[in-house]
Formats: sequence, C-alpha cells, structure tokens
Amino acid sequence: MEDQDYILFDSYINNELSAEESLAFENRRDSDEAFAQSFRVFLDATIYLQNSIRNEAETNDFKKNLESISTNHFNKAKAVATKPQPSKVFRFAKLAMAASVVIFLGVFAFNQFSNPTYSDYNAHEPMTIVRGSVKDLIAATKAFNNKDYEKANVLLKNVLEKDPENSELQLYYAITNIELDNYKVADSQLNKIIAGESAYKDRALWYSALSRLKQKNIDATIVLLKQISEEADDYKEAQKLLDKLE
Amino acid sequence: MSGKKIHEDQKYIEGLLNNNSFIIQAIYDKFVPKVVNYIKQNSGDADKAQDIIQETIVTIYNQAKEQDLKLTCPFDAYFFLLCKRKWLNALKKNKNKEVTINEEVLSIDDDAQELAFETSLFGEKQALFNEMFQKMGTACKDLIKATFKIKSMEDVAKSLGVTYAYARKKKSLCIGQLTKLVQESPKFNQLNF
Repeated sequence: MEDQDYILFDSYINNELSAEESLAFENRRDSDEAFAQSFRVFLDATIYLQNSIRNEAETNDFKKNLESISTNHFNKAKAVATKPQPSKVFRFAKLAMAASVVIFLGVFAFNQFSNPTYSDYNAHEPMTIVRGSVKDLIAATKAFNNKDYEKANVLLKNVLEKDPENSELQLYYAITNIELDNYKVADSQLNKIIAGESAYKDRALWYSALSRLKQKNIDATIVLLKQISEEADDYKEAQKLLDKLE
Repeated sequence: MSGKKIHEDQKYIEGLLNNNSFIIQAIYDKFVPKVVNYIKQNSGDADKAQDIIQETIVTIYNQAKEQDLKLTCPFDAYFFLLCKRKWLNALKKNKNKEVTINEEVLSIDDDAQELAFETSLFGEKQALFNEMFQKMGTACKDLIKATFKIKSMEDVAKSLGVTYAYARKKKSLCIGQLTKLVQESPKFNQLNF
C-alpha cells in the first residue's frame, strides 16, 4: 500500500471522510482484496495500540497482582511437597474464597428477583462449523459468534438453500431471526425443528420460548417451556425461568 | 453452583477484568493443578507451567478488555485447552528436544474448542503486533504513544513541538508502517487476518 492509502484508512476509521469519499472507499474495499486485507490489519493495529497504550497502567497492576498470586501458589505447592502443613496464607485464601462465594450467591439471589427478559438468556452457545468448510459457513460462524446477526442471517440463509434439511443450521438461522425481531420467520423455522426428530428438538423448544418471551407473550412462553424434556440441556434453565414467570 | 454451563463461569472473566484477587486465587486453586500435571507429564516442569499459565491468563485478560469476551462453556475446559495449546506451541519451537505427548482422553465440548481457538488466535495476533511495534523507530513509537494517551491531536502536536498537520499525517503513516511489518512477517499467513 502507498502512503496515501494509510492516510485514507486512518481518515475512514476516524470518520473524517465525506459521504461520497466513504462510498468510494467501501467500493474499493469490496472489490480489491489486497486493499481490504491491508485495511483489516491497519484497523486491528489501531485497536491493539489504542488498548495496549490506554490501559497500560491498569494492565501492569493486573500483571503485578497475578505475578504475586502465582508465585505464592507455586511456592506453596513446593512447600507442600516437602512439608505437608497448611500455611496461614492458605487458610486465608480459603476464607477469601468462601467470602467470594457468599458474594456471588448474593448477586445471584438479587438477579432472581428482577423480571426476566429475553436479554437475560441470549448468550447463545457459539456456532461451530458444522460440516465441510464451505466459505459462507465459515463467514456465517464468524459473524454469529461476533454477534453480527444481520450478516450471519444473510449468510445462513444462503447456506441453508444448499442444505435445507440441516437442523443445526435451521436453529442458528432461527436465532439470528429472533435477534433481528423477524419473529415470523424464526417461529416457523423452529416449529419445523420441533416437529422433526433431530437432536435439536429441545433446543428449538427453548428458543421458541425465548422468542415468545422477547415478544412479551408470557402465556405462550410458559406453554413452550413446559414441553422441554427433563433430559434436555436447557431443562434446568427452563425450570428457573418458569419459576420466575409463574 | 457447579455443573451447569453458560454464563455461570463468566464470573471468572469478570473477576480477571476487575483484577479481583479472590477470583485469581480461585483460578489457581481450582484449575491450575490440572494444567501443571499435564505439563509435567509432557516434558515440562513446574516452572515452565507457571509461565505458561501466567501468559495464558494475561491473554484472556487482554481479550476480555479488547473484545468483550463472553464465556459460553465451562472455564475449566476453556482454560485447559488454552494452556495446552500454548505449551504444545512452546514445545514445537524447541525442536532439538525429543518430546512425547501423553494425550489424555478428554471429552471437551465444541464450544470450548472454538472459544479457546479464538483466544489463542487473539493472543498470537497481539504478540505479533507487539513484536513489530518494538521494531519501529523511536520517532514513530513516541508519536503513537502520545496519540493514544492524549485525546486531542492538537495537544499531541504541541507536546512534540510539531504542527498539527504533520502529527496527523505522521500518525497514519506510522500505523501504516506497523501494518506493513505485520504483513511481511512469516507468521502473518497463519493468523487468519
């Protein structure tokens, strides 16, 4: 890349281009892969520098603290190997851990009293590449895991056209539709999975319930949650949600 | 509090982000012994394990800071995979040494694999950026440091005794230089940019 390209990258990142210039930039980025790749690296470099320099003091504090806990832990392990007597530090650590557990229980209990919403539950399991290494599928997986649901939605739709019976893809496609408030598409996709015999049946029920929760249709949410079988991964979570809703 | 995944173990990530000593201690008590055993069984010792573990925790911390890391699998599996990967990479670098790998049979779910892969990649990218940044001239380094520490470019120019236009242009070119150094590195092609 030439000097003026780097100046252009920086101006684009800092939002200093006119609408027309931005458009020209994006067109070039979409058609010229070498230009696009250099831009990605330039952007990553900028983010890296920004974070490492701005957070330098904080990171150093963290490293120091980590170093001392680590040294303490490994010295203790050596000491235990020669002389099996719990040190004061060790007992203190145990107390400290107990205290932290109490704090967590507190936070947990506090959360239980607020009204549940969809966003309490939308930490989806990351997509993993299902089969083969089709280009769109990799891009879709990346987009999904980066929470770019709009992009994942378009890509998954493409992939599904070639592999319409794949219930794992159907499920992830449905999730993107819930995220984008396309409830009709989401619910009909999920119904297909629920009616079928795949391993994703219960997961689909859970997401159907979450979709109704997001639509604030509490009655339907409850009905769906009750259908989730006891062996399902989401069973416990579903019971907890039911308790809060009923 | 145990067993059920998604979310729950996110507390370890939050704890690292907040530099919470209780949480860091808990990670050492609960998850570190398994990693130490693995490294000891695979041509390593306690000192090597200590370094690998510390580096891994710093990488997780950095990723959490930079990318809003969300844990959707147990911390245990994620952390173990990350340390293991780092250790195997370290062994590979040291080619002169004969190594035998005692693979445990592990049932680690795909989520953990995927997340650990993302974090490793993040860590390797960071290491490459850092390595190349150190190779740059002091003029560029100083300008870049000033730019990201001081918010206003006018103040940066003033503090370095140059004009605004010069500082602005030079900053873009310095990041450009870093970009070029990274792209020319032999490691670049393995990093999925």
